[in-house]
This record gives sequence, C-alpha cells and structure tokens, in this order.
Amino acid sequence: MEQRMANTWRMTVNEKKFIETALESGLRIDGRRPFDYRKLEIKFGKDEGSAEVHLGQTHVMAFVTAQLVQPYRDRPNDGTLSIFTEFSPMADPSFEPGRPGESAVELGRVIDRGLRESRAVDTESLCILSGKLVWAIRVDLHILDNGGNLIDAANIAALAGLLTFRRPECSLGGENGQEVIIHPPEEREPLHLIVHHLPIAVTFAFFSYESSVVIDPTHHEEAVMGGRMTATLNSNGDVCAIQKAGGEAILQGVIMQCLRIAAAKAGAISDMIKKEVDSYNTKRALLKIKRHSTPRDVDRGASDIGLKQNSSVDQMRVDEFSGHHVQRIKQECEEGIAKQSRDVESETKLSDKTQTNRSNEDTKNFIGGPSSWDPYSVGVDSDSLKASLASQGMQMPIEKQKDSKGEETRSEAKPEDAPENNNPKTSPLREAESAERANGEKTLKDAVKAKNRKSRRKSHSSSGPS
Amino acid sequence: MAEIAPANFVDQSVVPGDVVLDLTEMANQTIKLGGGLRQDCDAIAAMKAGTLRFSRPNKYWVETSQKRYVPCVEDSVLGIVVDSKADNFLVDIKGPSLAFLPVLAFEGGTRRNIPKFEVGTLLYVRVVKANPAGGKAAEYGSLKDGYMFECSTGLSRMLLSSPTCPVLAALGRNISFEIAVGLNGRVWVNATEADKVIIVANAIMNSESLSGVQQIGMVDKLLKKINDLAT
Repeated sequence: MEQRMANTWRMTVNEKKFIETALESGLRIDGRRPFDYRKLEIKFGKDEGSAEVHLGQTHVMAFVTAQLVQPYRDRPNDGTLSIFTEFSPMADPSFEPGRPGESAVELGRVIDRGLRESRAVDTESLCILSGKLVWAIRVDLHILDNGGNLIDAANIAALAGLLTFRRPECSLGGENGQEVIIHPPEEREPLHLIVHHLPIAVTFAFFSYESSVVIDPTHHEEAVMGGRMTATLNSNGDVCAIQKAGGEAILQGVIMQCLRIAAAKAGAISDMIKKEVDSYNTKRALLKIKRHSTPRDVDRGASDIGLKQNSSVDQMRVDEFSGHHVQRIKQECEEGIAKQSRDVESETKLSDKTQTNRSNEDTKNFIGGPSSWDPYSVGVDSDSLKASLASQGMQMPIEKQKDSKGEETRSEAKPEDAPENNNPKTSPLREAESAERANGEKTLKDAVKAKNRKSRRKSHSSSGPS
Repeated sequence: MAEIAPANFVDQSVVPGDVVLDLTEMANQTIKLGGGLRQDCDAIAAMKAGTLRFSRPNKYWVETSQKRYVPCVEDSVLGIVVDSKADNFLVDIKGPSLAFLPVLAFEGGTRRNIPKFEVGTLLYVRVVKANPAGGKAAEYGSLKDGYMFECSTGLSRMLLSSPTCPVLAALGRNISFEIAVGLNGRVWVNATEADKVIIVANAIMNSESLSGVQQIGMVDKLLKKINDLAT
C-alpha cells in the first residue's frame, strides 16, 4: 500500500494556488496564452491507417483496421464504425490495466459521437452485399503518455488514421453475383474511406477564479481545474457534439464564446491534418511508382527520375504517348541515340547529360515549375508508364555511369514496349499527339541546339585547364 | 601505476558492462564502491549508465540522472505531506516508499504544539536515515507560495553544484527569485510576480541538456524576447 502511495503523482497546495493566481493575469505555467494550443505533431506509421499524435507531452496512437461482418438487422446497407480505447499504465501512474476507467469510457464516447452522429465517415459506401456483408471499421486508440487533454489528441489521431486507411477493393463475382472476391493490394489498389468532413474536438478547462477559461489543459492544469467542456466542431462551423460532464457551472455566454473559439481552432487543426495526410499520401505514391519500375532493369531508376522531371511539362505527355506513334518515337530515339554515341566517346559526362538529353526543355521546366507537378492526380497505370518510358528513353538524364549500357537497354526496351501499347489509346489521343509532336519538335530541337552550344563551351572550358 | 587505470574512466560516461577498474593492478588498496558499480572477482564493472566519479581517497561511484530518487543520508530533498499519523508525518520524497517525519523534529516542537501541515504542503527536509524499506527525515521548514516542478536527479545536482550553475547565474542577474532544490528531482521557485516564476521555471527545465554556454545563450534569448514583448 505504501509503495503504491509513493508512486502516485501529488499536487502541492503551492502549485494549485500558483496556477490559479497566474491564470488571473492570463499566464499559464508553460508560458502559453489562454487560447493557445501546444505544439501538434502528426506522424504516420508503416501500416496504412496508423497515426501517432504528439500534442505537447501527450502522446496517442491510433490504428484503423477493417473486417467483413454481417450488418445490423435494422441497417442492412450500412457499414459500422467502432472506437476502442486503451489507457496504457505507462501513460500515467493512475491508469490501471484491465477494465477501462471512467475517463477511458468518456474519451471513447466523445470521439465516437463526434464521428458517428455527424456522419463524418460514409458508412453506406462500406456495404458490399446488402444485408449480408459490410465492412466494419475499427479504430483502436492507445494512450502512451498522458500530458493532459487526451480527448483532443486522441480525436486527431483517429481522424489521421481514418484518412490514411485503405481497405481492399472487393468485387462481386460467382454465378449469381453473390460471391465476394477481395482483391489483394498487389492486384488492385486499396481504396480510401470516404470521409465527408473532419470533426475536431476542442477541450476547454474552467477555473473557479474569475471564471477563467483555457484551451488544451496540461496535466497539472487538469488537476486544478474546476470543470471541463469538450466541443466537437468541423471547419464549416457545424457543431457535431458537446460534452460537459459535471464540474463547475458556467454561464451561457461563456459557452457561446467557447464555441466561437473552438470553430476557429477546428479550422486550423483540420488544415494541419489535411496537409500532413497529403504529404504522407504523396510520399507513399512515390514509393509505389518506384516499385512498379524495378522489375524491368536497374537503369530504370534513372528513367523514373526522368519521368518525374518530365511530368512537370504536362500531364498529357505521360498519359498520351502511346505505341501508336511508335514510329515517330523510334525515329527520335535513333536520332537521340546517334547523338549519344557520338557524344559518349568524345565528351565528358556533363555534356552527355545535356546533349543527349531531350528533356532539356523538361528539366528547364522542372526547375521552374514545381507547382505544376502533380503526377498523381491523374492515375498512372503501368501501360502508359511503360509507353512514356519508351518514348522518353533518350531523354534520360544519365546520372550514373555506363552510358552505352543504358542506351543498349533502352533500345531493347523500346521494341518491347511498342507492341504492347498499340491498342489502348488511339483515337482520342491523336489530336493531342499531333499537337504534342508539333510542339515537341519545335521546342526540343531548339532546346537541344541551345544546350549544344552551352555545353560545348562548358566542356571546352572544363577540358582546358585540366 | 594504480592511478592510470581509473584515470581513464573517471568523469567519463560509462554504460552497463563497462569494466572500469582492474583490481589486479591495485593490490593492497581498499576501495569504496558507491552506487552503480559491481564487483566481479577482479574487475569492477558499471551497472548503470552515467558518469564515473571518484573522490579522494578511495571512493568510486556512478552518477546517473533519472527520474527516480534513491534516498541517501544527508540529502536535502523536497517532500510533500501525504498523511499525518500520531507522531509522524508521512512525506513523499519520490523515493521507493514514503518517509516518516517525526513531529518532534521541529524547532520548539513539543507534544503540545504539533505543527499543522495539511495534505499537500511542500517541505524542505533532510534525509536522516535511509534504508531500503523506508526513510526518516528531519525538517528545515515548509515552503510557502511559489511553484514546484519536477525534474531529473541529474538536473538537481547540476543546479546545486558550485560554482553556480550558469543558468541560475544568468537568470539571477536579471530576475530576483528564491529557489530551493531537492536532490530528489524537485525544485521550488518563488518570485514577486507570477510571470517571473514561470520564466525561471521554464528556463531551468529547458537547461538540462545544454552546456554552460548554451544555457547562458538560452536565458539571454528568453529574457530578450520577454523584454521585447513587454515594451
């Protein structure tokens, strides 16, 4: 018993008095102002749907998983969403393993209410077979460190997990369309959940002196506060849920003021969540592109880089180059390769890069225009990828050694690519292609010529002193 | 000759498993081993991660910085009153168990006028007896007002070192404040205004991993920012 008593955290009277007196002058013990949030960091794990949130010292992790189950009888067309919380004893000495305590249940309920009542997650899209099979989404929240304000942090973690989670794609098959085939992620890209809006929970703490209100209380402030209120809003200003469990009574005017402040904070936090999720998605998509290219050959690494650079030019080039005008491409390739072979022997690598590189214009564009680079808004599928690689084979910046080897493999690759892509994209692309060709010819040649001069000068100067 | 081996490791960081002393080289010497060291036949190995310290004539120990406190005799610590029994107060000093503070340990304390400490009072006490099961404390007095925060034992040792720790010296040049440091990782700060207390507390909490020069730089930046805000 004594051991247990020795381990719990205690509050001294000095602390309590000090926190309250400091609040009277609008100061908080960590130097924040009353309506400032602590530093918020969102990180994602290796699995999809796992998110980690640091809010000051509070540390929460969320894991989202999905399972196929039978739907509820009164809702045969809806999937289900359930929240589970785990208050780990390492987060706080007062957390006990086993049955969730009162605060654990409250946290789970507040987050669940915010997501479910406001219909943030679209459950109808989770239905596979009406009345028989639906997806049940399960969110597990693990509290790893209790630095105060667990509800807000856990809510953000749950939202980040739901936004990055992907469920496998299913299709109906079999004789009467009753068999469900779940496609593995290698076969078909898993799908995002449909999330209509982001309900953000904002917690306020009330103190007895001068009815001071603060946002995002720390652990110490929570021990001193007289009451707490959590308002869940989205960035549109809709109130999704409000929770005030006991504690001090507060005036109606104060509640309305809190809701207004919460609306502003909710907007800021949901922007931040979206930004982090977007950067995570782009990173993930980049990894996937590299994975597509490795089966071909090692030098494709270079071609990936070339592809990315080129895609800045216009989206159309990636999608619309096809085997249909392989003839054109072959000619260009041959010219390019001829140029290459000339240059490889005579000049330095630097000039190789610049001369043989039809993507001169592209690289110029790339350097100038990061804003136009969004290759993933239009889905890149493997066929068009191969086609574009073939067409732009000679445009690679040869960053590594063995230029001749690269050429050989590229010329090998071309004939392979050509027959594959004859069929899919013919008619709708013709106009675009011809326009492309016209544009391409003019601009490419000009670019190449200009670069020739520049690079010759450069190479001369570099070879001069050496 | 006997000085060569230990000199290599004294004041250096050691990790568990490091052999810090070779007894074969030091015959006919008695050495006192403090915390964090273990004898393995002829070799003395470190059990904890920290800095090896040596004090004349023959005492070695490993100084670690952690959140837990192991009560040692003659340590000044900050305790919180948890309960009051017949002739003892139970005081929490962040050790493995609670410490007893005899009621009669106060100046002018007799059975009649027992000082009344309510639960949660902060006391500055000295450890008189420390055994694994519990400890006994003697009292300097209770601390009124101010703000107490917790830190690691390493930071409290640094704050108590002499010459004065750079962060305290830098803060003291600009702000007047009172401070009581307990070796159990608790620090109490008081000043005339709340914002000064907050500045001092946060500066100290941030200074643990900084070197002396960095500490002074941090304090200067902090004070400058506050002065800019004030004006």
